[in-house]
Amino acid sequence: MANTLLNKSLAAACLLALVSGIAPGEPGPKFYADDPIAVEPETQDASNVVRQKIDLFYDLMLNQFATPGLPPGPRAQNVNTIDEVPDSSWFTNRILSRPVRIAEAARGPVTGNGPAPGSWVVVAAKTEGDAPGFTVRDSAGVTWFLAFDRPSNPEGATGAAVVASKIFWTLGYYQAEYFIAELRREQLSVDPEATFRPPSGRERKMTLKDIEPVLSRVAHRPDGVYRVLASRLLPGKPLGGFRYYGTRPDDPNDVIPHEHRRELRALKVFGAWTNLVDMKALNTMDTLITENGRARVRHYLLDVGSTFGMGANGPREWTEGYEHLFEQDKLLKRMASVGFYTQPWQKAHYKEYPSVGRFEGDQFDPDAWKTRVPVSALLRVRDDDLFWAARRVMAFSDEMIREIVKTGQYSDTAAAGYLADVLIKRRNKIGQVYLTRLNPLVDFSLDSSGLLSFSNEPVKFGFAKAPASYAVAWSSFDNKSGTTRLIGETKGPDTRMSAPAGLPSGPDSFILAEVRALDPSHESWTRPVKVYFRRLGAGWKLVGLERAESLH
Amino acid sequence: MCILKNSALRQLRLTPNSRRPAPWRTSLLWVALSPAVLAQVAEPVPESRTAVIAQQQQEKSRKLEPPRPDRVEALVRRGQAMFLEFPSGFFPYFASVYHGGGLTLGGGYRKFIGDNTSWNVQGLYSVKNYKLVEGGVQSRDHLSKRLSFGSKLGWRDATQVGYFGLGMSSSQDARTNFRFQQTYADGHATLKPVRWFPIQASVAAEHWEVKEGKGSFPSIETVHTPATAPGLGANPTYLHSQVSAGFDWRPSPGYARRGGLYQATFHDYHSNEGGIYSFQRLDGEIVQHVPLYRETWVLAGRARAMTTLNNNDLVPYFLLPALGDGSSLRAFDTDRYRDRHSILYTAEFRWIPGPAVDMAFFYDAGKVASRRGDLNFKGLKSDVGVGIRFHGLIATPLRVDFAIGNEGFKMVIAGGPIF
Repeated sequence: MANTLLNKSLAAACLLALVSGIAPGEPGPKFYADDPIAVEPETQDASNVVRQKIDLFYDLMLNQFATPGLPPGPRAQNVNTIDEVPDSSWFTNRILSRPVRIAEAARGPVTGNGPAPGSWVVVAAKTEGDAPGFTVRDSAGVTWFLAFDRPSNPEGATGAAVVASKIFWTLGYYQAEYFIAELRREQLSVDPEATFRPPSGRERKMTLKDIEPVLSRVAHRPDGVYRVLASRLLPGKPLGGFRYYGTRPDDPNDVIPHEHRRELRALKVFGAWTNLVDMKALNTMDTLITENGRARVRHYLLDVGSTFGMGANGPREWTEGYEHLFEQDKLLKRMASVGFYTQPWQKAHYKEYPSVGRFEGDQFDPDAWKTRVPVSALLRVRDDDLFWAARRVMAFSDEMIREIVKTGQYSDTAAAGYLADVLIKRRNKIGQVYLTRLNPLVDFSLDSSGLLSFSNEPVKFGFAKAPASYAVAWSSFDNKSGTTRLIGETKGPDTRMSAPAGLPSGPDSFILAEVRALDPSHESWTRPVKVYFRRLGAGWKLVGLERAESLH
Repeated sequence: MCILKNSALRQLRLTPNSRRPAPWRTSLLWVALSPAVLAQVAEPVPESRTAVIAQQQQEKSRKLEPPRPDRVEALVRRGQAMFLEFPSGFFPYFASVYHGGGLTLGGGYRKFIGDNTSWNVQGLYSVKNYKLVEGGVQSRDHLSKRLSFGSKLGWRDATQVGYFGLGMSSSQDARTNFRFQQTYADGHATLKPVRWFPIQASVAAEHWEVKEGKGSFPSIETVHTPATAPGLGANPTYLHSQVSAGFDWRPSPGYARRGGLYQATFHDYHSNEGGIYSFQRLDGEIVQHVPLYRETWVLAGRARAMTTLNNNDLVPYFLLPALGDGSSLRAFDTDRYRDRHSILYTAEFRWIPGPAVDMAFFYDAGKVASRRGDLNFKGLKSDVGVGIRFHGLIATPLRVDFAIGNEGFKMVIAGGPIF
């Protein structure tokens, strides 16, 4: 909020300067020498950032009944000049940006071993969230958060968290390290310094009796062994969650409103794929870390275990993924129709494995998928964000998905197979919907001989037939003034096309190629992708890419 | 030189749609008067993208502030602490003094004396001058949340409780009122050996002081005799023991769309006056919720019987099983029918418009009888209606029902489920 006002004030300052005759000076170039940046710089010391507490109820109500954040419409503001998301404290480019081996994806964020066997010392009770759990220190002195399965759904929550964390890590998000481990009651003791807050609200020393209510309501095997989800303590100082709108007022490097960060908008697609309906500030965590001698804030997506068909308290509610908690229109129609106003969630067919819950791919419609309550960043998503995200989802091969699912250690192989099958089905639907919606040409390059190459994403995956032809309008581009001069146009059926004669050859010259796919069945493809190349030595470097919005 | 943040420029374009112009006016005034702005616009053009971003971050670093909740969030937090959490201190108290008392408000004070043990005092007052003052000790969640127990001491005053006479043939026009003041002290406990098998027991000393009724109807003693109002004139003191057990596999008694309750409760009222007003009663209740089509609809049914066990026992009129109120025959006056035995059937066809709202068509039917053998389906009084309920996962804070029967129309506003 404060940052929003700050931005508005700054904008107002410049407006005033313009109208009062203070020369604003010449605008900067369209492309700087370091474009496209691969890393979002964080130049300021963030060591004074403090922990923020976000109230769950207020956060839910605000997102449900208001629309916090800036108005929708603008392109994502953290993309670089080639429409990609630079690495940052929010996101690390992995799948699609570079080859990711299946074993690497299946390992995910894991850097070491799981909890050491032997005695585990309980150091804290769980204070937030519905899922039962507590914090322990293992025999090697490593701290772990433990979570359990519900008796009705053994392996459900623990398996989902491990699998989902691998998926989200591979997509590029910061994730906690999750392990599936076994616990016996006899392993537990309580740290003498551990405290507990009973209903009286008065904190006191914790005892083993305080753990009993947790263990009495979670799943365990007949031999008394508990399957636990062990989550390694995140590095750095915990700062509380982040909101999906605005910026942290105390983090100097957090200058882009969260609702305008592409990797957060893209959770519309990644969330739909994995059914991550419970997207809220309390399921995120900022930590203060020190890297290269500078303190900065790192942003984690946590609690991704509430995915697929599982919720915190068992299988998903029937409406989850289909409707927000409150939708006035549907509420009134159902009221008036005595419930006979039916909806897709009532017709979806589930193969309900206890370890998977309610998760399916046949009825799934990525456009119609919804989080439990509206999420500001997702409400700002544009077609170019969806396209960017869908490419990453499609980069997961069937084999990679199946290997990742194996890490959930499901004892029922049919359940694991079903989960993988559904993920594959949902992946393909995402590709079908979002890769075809706007001009889908990607991977542009221009070699020193003037041969332009690119590829057509939906054609590559078989979601669309190759268009009859491609057309390219070639122009020289003045980086300072932003003016263009048409050189010529070329056309052909192939995804490789030679530039016309007359391309500029001087050092640091720029070319703009506006590339269209001519296909009557995809009108949006006729809106050009604008690609900019800079002359570097004898070759051309891609420095800019602007994808027009779809026409629908 | 003016260095505009990209985000700021975009906001500038979009601002005509803003609903909050006031900060803009403030900003412009501030900007116009601020020398810092002039200094800022003179900053050099960055040479790289990295420098552009660095400049934005540097600018922000000069105006950092700690995160703090806004006014609404702070208010919400206070409200939650007051209504949903249970720490020591004052709290608002929403309950009923006695059914039929009308809109009631109250408050209380709680003090924890252990992890799960607290003493509390609380009071209620209703628009009909019904009053309750109560103090007690509660200790809960022992044995891994299997055992809770407590004790309370209280006094209630119900000034205008209706009495229409015995049986189903009483007339609506024959209403009389009585007032009672009840002083009570009890000890109670709930044990759940398993989650779905609750056992409850309590022992209470209760003194009933019955007085001239208030309100616009005649007082009971001006119309009735002990023959038509058993125990008229008595002010008994009881040792009231009760025990109940049953199967309860509803997700929550406060709100359920599935599951059921099959429960029996035995009451022993032992009076001090030579046992003349002593009696025993057995209550049985069956509740079943049947979800249909992924909980789009729920068929919910309840059958409840209350029966005095010994035909020779004298049960004072104010302790007879009664029908008629917001949770039994909803279109009828409170305690419209009284006699030694009662049976009640309730059926609801509920539909779920949204996650926090249920609606229902309902049908209530019931009767009272002087002989247990008359508890059949003949001569039932009934009503129908429609209701809306606002609920959470485990509670129903507000229920509004509109019921119509052969004695008129009633609107019920209640905090809690019908069953």
